[in-house]
Amino acid sequence: MVEKKDHFRAPVSYTFRRKSPFDQLLDHMGKVRECIDILGKELIKYYEGDYKNFSDIARRVSEIEHEADMIKRNLRNHLPNSLFMPVDKGKFMWALREQDKILDHAENLAKMLDMRHTKIPNELQNVFIDHAKLVTKTVDAMEDAVENIRDLVETSFVKREREQTKLLIRKVHEFEWKADEKKYEMTKGIYGLEKKLDSMDVYHLLKIADWVDDIADHAENVADWLRSMIAR
Amino acid sequence: MDSLIFLIIAGGASAVGLYMAWSIGSNDVANSMATSVGSKALTFRQAVIVAGILTVCGAIFVGAHVTETVKSGIIVKEILCVANPTIVMLGFFSSLLAAAIWVTLSTWKEMPISTTHSIIGALVGFGLITWGTTCVNWEKLGFVASSWVLSPIVGCIIAFFVFKIIVKLIFAKEEPVKSAKIVGPFIIGTTAFLIVSALLLKTQLSEILGITEIPQIIFISLIALIIVSIISVFLLRKIEAKSLEDYAAVEGIFKKLQIITACYVAFAHGANDVANAIGPVAGIMDIAVTGTISVTAEIPYWLLAIGGVGIAIGCLTWGRRVMRTVGGKITSLTNSRGFSVEFAAATTVLAASKLGLPVSTSHTVVGAVIGVGLARGLEAVDVSVVRKIVISWLLTVPVAAATSAAIFILMTAIVL
Repeated sequence: MVEKKDHFRAPVSYTFRRKSPFDQLLDHMGKVRECIDILGKELIKYYEGDYKNFSDIARRVSEIEHEADMIKRNLRNHLPNSLFMPVDKGKFMWALREQDKILDHAENLAKMLDMRHTKIPNELQNVFIDHAKLVTKTVDAMEDAVENIRDLVETSFVKREREQTKLLIRKVHEFEWKADEKKYEMTKGIYGLEKKLDSMDVYHLLKIADWVDDIADHAENVADWLRSMIAR
Repeated sequence: MDSLIFLIIAGGASAVGLYMAWSIGSNDVANSMATSVGSKALTFRQAVIVAGILTVCGAIFVGAHVTETVKSGIIVKEILCVANPTIVMLGFFSSLLAAAIWVTLSTWKEMPISTTHSIIGALVGFGLITWGTTCVNWEKLGFVASSWVLSPIVGCIIAFFVFKIIVKLIFAKEEPVKSAKIVGPFIIGTTAFLIVSALLLKTQLSEILGITEIPQIIFISLIALIIVSIISVFLLRKIEAKSLEDYAAVEGIFKKLQIITACYVAFAHGANDVANAIGPVAGIMDIAVTGTISVTAEIPYWLLAIGGVGIAIGCLTWGRRVMRTVGGKITSLTNSRGFSVEFAAATTVLAASKLGLPVSTSHTVVGAVIGVGLARGLEAVDVSVVRKIVISWLLTVPVAAATSAAIFILMTAIVL
């Protein structure tokens, strides 16, 4: 339908916005989900030494990151002071910012992995795969927690829903902690093989461990901001 | 010659009055019904029908109080009564025309002004230019003007508490759907109570039915409360919760309840806003028929009916378009929120009508929306509209007054 300029005096409609900020936050989260779903699977393939199509994946991740960026920018640019939200706007923006960081790091990871195909030593493959799975789980748990915003808003933040969200946030912390532990195991493993491996390989392997773990860190940050958003 | 002028003015006044009623119907009704359309409690077609029928009902049964204020409450009676009838007629006509022009202009410029405020401003302008500052009933005007500020605030407060109660009694409970099935009918019964008591409190209808005593009215309203509650329990019995957190089912219950509050809003709107179009016309008709100015004369019911029908026509012709547009913009409003907004706004407006205070329905609705927002019920409320409304308060009366005065001078130059 063609947008027509309608001349109405409609005070009620001035108080509403076409798209709610929470909807946009969830849209953005949808992009995170899409991205991590793809990257999580492909990362494991990469670890197993299958580099086929990885360039395509890196490009796709970059595209998703760009799409999410547009959502973020749109949301941030249209959050005027006169807008009253049931949660602190500052905390809301921080949650969004951290959520966006997940995608930034995902993009960086994909690009860097694509730049140099580093063979994961056979001894370390399982640890690397476990770590990737834990990071994916952390993000999944974060998504569940963010998703619960719907119910929170619908019930106007009643205790039951806040407790539920807190429970989901606790899960994020748990997975993030496990992922951290795995990362130290990985790092230890890499140091253990330093005599055997090429120094450039060691460098890149250490970097990969960091890059992948960054994603879990930011997922945890999102959960933390969400927690402070719903705090009384 | 006199009778010819009287006829022309009476005809002209009716035409402008009808135009005013039309613009109220096409624009203001949409503002009050938009919450129902936005929250999908009614399709916009149903909203048009509900608004059409119930606005007429509200106008006919409860509209007289406010019309009286608009007709003769703003200008001191002693001055109005001894004045030249032709001058008064011209004055009312100019006021109506000035208000209608201002409303049209604001519609075009999309300023959130109120038709109510325009007509009052225009009447003040005519009074000032004719008799000077002594003729305006400042006390009454102050009362009316303060009601403009108070009505959105009261709407805001009621909406805040209605929504808080809904959260406390329904959403915070272990089984929200079950609680909604108990609480919902009671709230809707209260709505019925308020409508019935408004219908019977100091109206022509109560005299016809012979129900004038307050206890009688309360008794009948209580019966209405019980009947409506039982009917709604019956209607809601089929809704079952799919899970413990089936908020969609809760909203489904409110969707049904909102049909009643939508009627309530249309009713209250008709009761209050018909006066804007009909008040001055009633004044003119009075003079045209009797030749003298009688302040105490009853507002004829057919005139209220014409006003109501004018609003209904506006609603049917253009209102559907406005309603669709405005309703489409506020889709983030869910049924429980829409219910709170409508209940609060309609109660405020109806109470104002009973006090004979012409208030702005749409401003009250805005106040109620903000109230729900403050109760953390909405995802985002843009409160910048408040600034626009305050500007419109400050602007409307002087502009309408000046326009009205100018038209009046022009008219007297031509006619006399």
